[in-house]
Amino acid sequence: MKSHSIKTRLIATVVLSQALLVAGLLSTGLFYAHRRLLSTLDDGMQARAMNLVALVRYTEDAHEQLYFDQALVPSPLDRAHPDLFAVWAEKSGLLAHSANWPAGLEISPSGPSHWDFAQAQVPYRGLRIFKVPVLDREADVTSAPETLTIVYAAPMIRLQKQVWDAGVFIVLSSLLLLGATVVLTLWGIGRELLPLQQLAAQAALISSRNWELHPPEKAEQIAELRPLTESMTTMLARLERSFLQQRQFIGNAAHELKTPVAVLKSTLQSSLQRPRDSEEYRAGLEHALEDLDRLEQLLQWMLRLARAEQWAHGALRRDLPVVDITATCEEAVERIRHLGETHNTTIRLAKDGAIPFRADPEDLQLVWTNLLENAVRYSPRGGSVEFTVARGDDGSAQITVEDHGPGIPAADLPRIFERFYRGDPSRTRATGGFGLGLAIAKALVEAYGGTISVESAPAKGTRMTVGFPSQFS
Amino acid sequence: MRVLIIEDEPRLAGNIARSLRESAGYAVDVAHDGQDGLFMAESNEYDVVLLDLMLPHMDGMQLLSRIRKAGQHTPVLVVTARDDKESVVELLNAGADDYLTKPFDLGELLARTKALIRRGKGQPSPVLSIGDLQLNTVNRNVQRAGRVITLTAMEYRVLEYLAHRPRAVVSKTELLEHLYDYNWEKFSNVVEVYISGLRRKLDAGSAKPLIHTLRGQGYILQD
Repeated sequence: MKSHSIKTRLIATVVLSQALLVAGLLSTGLFYAHRRLLSTLDDGMQARAMNLVALVRYTEDAHEQLYFDQALVPSPLDRAHPDLFAVWAEKSGLLAHSANWPAGLEISPSGPSHWDFAQAQVPYRGLRIFKVPVLDREADVTSAPETLTIVYAAPMIRLQKQVWDAGVFIVLSSLLLLGATVVLTLWGIGRELLPLQQLAAQAALISSRNWELHPPEKAEQIAELRPLTESMTTMLARLERSFLQQRQFIGNAAHELKTPVAVLKSTLQSSLQRPRDSEEYRAGLEHALEDLDRLEQLLQWMLRLARAEQWAHGALRRDLPVVDITATCEEAVERIRHLGETHNTTIRLAKDGAIPFRADPEDLQLVWTNLLENAVRYSPRGGSVEFTVARGDDGSAQITVEDHGPGIPAADLPRIFERFYRGDPSRTRATGGFGLGLAIAKALVEAYGGTISVESAPAKGTRMTVGFPSQFS
Repeated sequence: MRVLIIEDEPRLAGNIARSLRESAGYAVDVAHDGQDGLFMAESNEYDVVLLDLMLPHMDGMQLLSRIRKAGQHTPVLVVTARDDKESVVELLNAGADDYLTKPFDLGELLARTKALIRRGKGQPSPVLSIGDLQLNTVNRNVQRAGRVITLTAMEYRVLEYLAHRPRAVVSKTELLEHLYDYNWEKFSNVVEVYISGLRRKLDAGSAKPLIHTLRGQGYILQD
């Protein structure tokens, strides 16, 4: 993808639109100036031609000859290129012409009233006026008055120069304005883009040590930038949360792995400490294998938790079958039966018909077995665990696991779903837990949009409640 | 020497105990939780205590401050999974003499334990000398005037304890306390058997006896 600069693009757009404007202005301006000047010239020529007409008079004699008073012809405006004129009388023919009337110039007295022509490389504009009656000062006009045809031509040099000057003026002033616009635009864009640069500089300061984005105050005031800063802030908060979670998990995991590794290492080292017979070595290796099994179990639980949490964060989506929650509960009871028997604890399942739910049955069974295992382990021998599956009117499900054990101290309650949290290390260590079962249960339940909560009364027991909303309402 | 291990991971405690018994010939007691550990530390005389921090019923730190408040000087080596600076500083300030982070090397644990025992008894060197007797606590080699003396495990234990406290009167009860772990029946005449065996081996070929008996009080190792 080719990169480009907003600044350059904006400037280019401004310059282009200005150039279009100048072109439009220039053409209309020139057209208008030309038209105005031409009509002024035409009016002037008309006036001068009429002046010439006034110079034609009847003689005093009986013949009523026409004569042209050459002496009264006004002096030309442009001495370098004086006007041309010629006057014809209808009956008497060519009456008079200007001194500079070119000898070879043949101008027909008939034709269009205005036309352009060149004479000695000078552009001229000509005017023809027909049938102008000769004024008689005595007012005793004869029966058939004579009429005149006048041709008057003026040089166009001045007009062309004026049009050119107007064009130059328009172009120059437009260029000046264009320059000013570019400078203003550059300054304005720079000013407006400054908060963006500051924002970028602030964003560059973000690292795994510093998650705080300090957007420049201006960036928050600019309507176009506000959504950006807002989404950046929320994105960073999300990233930081998951980063810290991951780091904490890795820290916890490393810490939790130290003990089983220490056990394994000490088993091997104490076996190698001195020469032994093969029976002793064998026992040592078997112990090492047991230690390794435990380490492997811990790793599996960690991976299971990582997977459940990843899924809870929406990283995994699968095509899920519709299963019956009640059936998964029955299956879980089957799986935990052996533990219940060795612990002399009865699991009593109370069900409420089928509850359809879109889920991986393994996940649900894992939740139930984790909860049931805890309940069985903390139950007094000969006791019972109440496992209840209830269906709400709207198709939601509520599952409770209740034991009659010693209960959980109130201080520990808020933390029991934390990873690696063991309220009392002796109990969990003795019961073989890693402090991950409830964290996994919570992650899985939440992955399916459910909730998990705990109530506990000292010396009376603990009740875990899982609620799933209806997926089919 | 008698060592108390307070560690809730049974396999780890067992491995350390085996190692200390086999390589150092120490008597070892194991407690699996804080309460037991405190009770044992208060009711017996140990030459060193190995203490885990994450313990059921009472955590290692509490236990440590309890025994230090009670005025016990027994060296304490803390074995912990936490290795951040703050917790190490906190540990040492609470009265720990040394610490080791998990997973550790058994050899290092052994060496640190021996060093703590030596320091606890004011002996800077791992080779103890009393007159012309030399006792190397690292390889458990005993020589007198250049002659290597072969001792049984129990004889060595008795001699090692006496050598750590030269010129001091050590009673039979004290010896028994430090030679046997919790599970043994203690009969004081056993000590007499070991002492006579030691005398026979140490004094063979030497004019001067090293172990002296103070009737009704105990034994002194001096030249």
